[in-house]
Amino acid sequence: MSSLSRPLLAWVTIAALAALGFWWAGHRREPAPRPGVTEISWYVLINPLREVYEAQVAEFERRHPEYRVRIVWVPGTEYNVRLKTLAAAHQLPDLFYTGDVWLSYLMPFTRDLSDFARRDAAETGLDTDYFPEIRRAMQLDGKIYILPEHVNVSLLYYNRRMFREANLPEPSAEWTWDDYVRAAQRLTRPGDEHHPAIWGSSRMEGWWGEWLIFVRQAGGKVFTPDGHRCLLDSPAAIAGLRFYLEKSTRYGISAPAGFEPVNGFVNQRVAMVIGGHTNFWTNYNQVTDLDWDVQILPAGPARRAGGELAIAGYSISRESRHPEAAWELVKFLTRPEAIAQVVAHGQLSVRRSVAEAVMRQPGRANPHQLEAAYRQFAYAEPIPHHPHYIEIMLQIVQAEVDRMVIGELTPEEAGRRAAADVNAFLDTFHRAAP
Amino acid sequence: MNRSRGETLWFWLFAGPAVAGLLAFNVWPMLYSLWLSFCRYEVLAPPEFIGLQNYRYLFTHDPAFWPSVRVTLVFTVANLPLAIAGALGFALLLNQPVRGRGFWRAVFFLPSILPQAAFAVVFGYIFQADGGLLNRALALAGIQGAAWTTSPTWALPVLIVVSLWSFGYPMVIFLAALQDVPRELHEAAHIDGADGWARFRHITLPLISPIIFFNVVMGVIGALKVFDLAYAFSVSQAQPMPGGPARATLFYGLNLYQQAFGFFHLGLASAMAWLLFAFIAALTYVNFRAGRRWVHYGD
Repeated sequence: MSSLSRPLLAWVTIAALAALGFWWAGHRREPAPRPGVTEISWYVLINPLREVYEAQVAEFERRHPEYRVRIVWVPGTEYNVRLKTLAAAHQLPDLFYTGDVWLSYLMPFTRDLSDFARRDAAETGLDTDYFPEIRRAMQLDGKIYILPEHVNVSLLYYNRRMFREANLPEPSAEWTWDDYVRAAQRLTRPGDEHHPAIWGSSRMEGWWGEWLIFVRQAGGKVFTPDGHRCLLDSPAAIAGLRFYLEKSTRYGISAPAGFEPVNGFVNQRVAMVIGGHTNFWTNYNQVTDLDWDVQILPAGPARRAGGELAIAGYSISRESRHPEAAWELVKFLTRPEAIAQVVAHGQLSVRRSVAEAVMRQPGRANPHQLEAAYRQFAYAEPIPHHPHYIEIMLQIVQAEVDRMVIGELTPEEAGRRAAADVNAFLDTFHRAAP
Repeated sequence: MNRSRGETLWFWLFAGPAVAGLLAFNVWPMLYSLWLSFCRYEVLAPPEFIGLQNYRYLFTHDPAFWPSVRVTLVFTVANLPLAIAGALGFALLLNQPVRGRGFWRAVFFLPSILPQAAFAVVFGYIFQADGGLLNRALALAGIQGAAWTTSPTWALPVLIVVSLWSFGYPMVIFLAALQDVPRELHEAAHIDGADGWARFRHITLPLISPIIFFNVVMGVIGALKVFDLAYAFSVSQAQPMPGGPARATLFYGLNLYQQAFGFFHLGLASAMAWLLFAFIAALTYVNFRAGRRWVHYGD
């Protein structure tokens, strides 16, 4: 063999081995579905309902032997990054779990489900069984991109024992900000060397969960209706920011910035929470001596409405090769029996029939006034459907709110700076808004 | 075929895969990211050329860019001298002929093999404002502790303190250098009446100056690229947006990551990456120029 052909032979061998390695690494390990069986891929973030979903899928496959579901569990911290990366690579799953918070962001690769929904309206109960506020939240420009499974709504959470011990009547559905402050002041107790401080209310820091409620209830808005300008410098928005700040600095009902007790409501060091999340209900009910309940949010100076309503559910990718099959699975996962299982794990139902059945259950777990949570729907609204909402709120606005909370900025300065920065962002990138 | 041609072929046979890998996975992505830095590219649509708009936005409008530069520079300036001095100090101590020296060397190196995420979680608990270990201890002395991790004033100093625990690698390099310092030079100086400080100042330091220089250069580059500690700290503090509070811990690397993989502004993130690359290259050049004055290579 000549000295030239030996290296060539070696090169060819190395290249062949590399190709074999790449093929092996990229080769699917799972057995291919049987002929005539359609595989539906489903991305879902890891959450406590895993067993429920797996049982649902097993039941779906039993009832529909023509389908096989491949669930891909993804950690929550990686979920949206992976999803968008897959979209860029045109490798999206057929079905993915998402929420209306992400809808504008995910819309470019989410399938319009309106035709399916119209065709199967009777079967899905979309027109009859879903709460009207939920129907509105699942639409963007009149089109349906998500079929919801559960909903979170901002509420007033309170500790019943602490109210009893302070001889205070429990919060009513007619409460205003003033009532809330007065009660919280009665419930607040300074700490000493033997006892930690008890706060009448928490103040959720680091994101928009609480301060946006106050901005909206004071009559403010984040964006103009066309989404092209930020309105956080309006007097109404500033009034909302001021109330959020003064809970600590003026009324003394919330811990100073940064000193919010960890898990304060669960540890019974905080008597009330504005906003909250239904995800925590199960945890609350595991604390045996935590006697808690919920009420409609106190009304602000402009209106009672302003709390957030956030739905979570299922979307089908625009590139799905099996949209009909994926839609079958979506319908299965959102039928009343399936939603009842999710609600049994401490979530609010998106379907009226399930909600009413739960409220009729004798001896059900807290909250005692579950109907208040459903009444709050009428005073809640989704976050603005803006494709850059999350980035704008967390990356740009929140830093100014943080600076306000620690006393570096007044509410006026925070609102002005936030609006100016957001508008510069929108101007520079010509961000289109829905 | 002549001998020289055969050798060339063998060279490419062995070097070829590495060169191909370098071109495919380093050079090409770098050049592509340079191109992307002049584009609007948000993954779902093809890149769109926008000239210098990304750079202009970063310099004039981006509310997070300059704070992230400031945080990173403050961290670098505060961390580097402390880290170098600490690593050298421990190396000097561990170079002493004490009983169980190997054991102590292992003990002091141990923190460096722990992931930064573990540090962030443990120190997050220690520095927690309400009920954290430090504030409990301060309360025993009648002192009201600060909101260490949730205050924009204290969050960065806390991270600087936490980062100092990873001094093991420069320490080991210093230790190796110290063991290379000829003993006879110390003995001769000692006989001439030089005290310990004089021997350290005039013998040890000049002889290990190339190693100090190496650690400084690597330390500067590492500090400017800090990411994992800041990210783990944000996660341990359950911050919805890494880099808080009020951008107090928004390191440049963290900001870049957020732009690239949080918001998928890959054009903007590429511009940030190239600015960082240019800054590090310039600073390293300055370091090398300045190093000529104080680094002794013994020639």
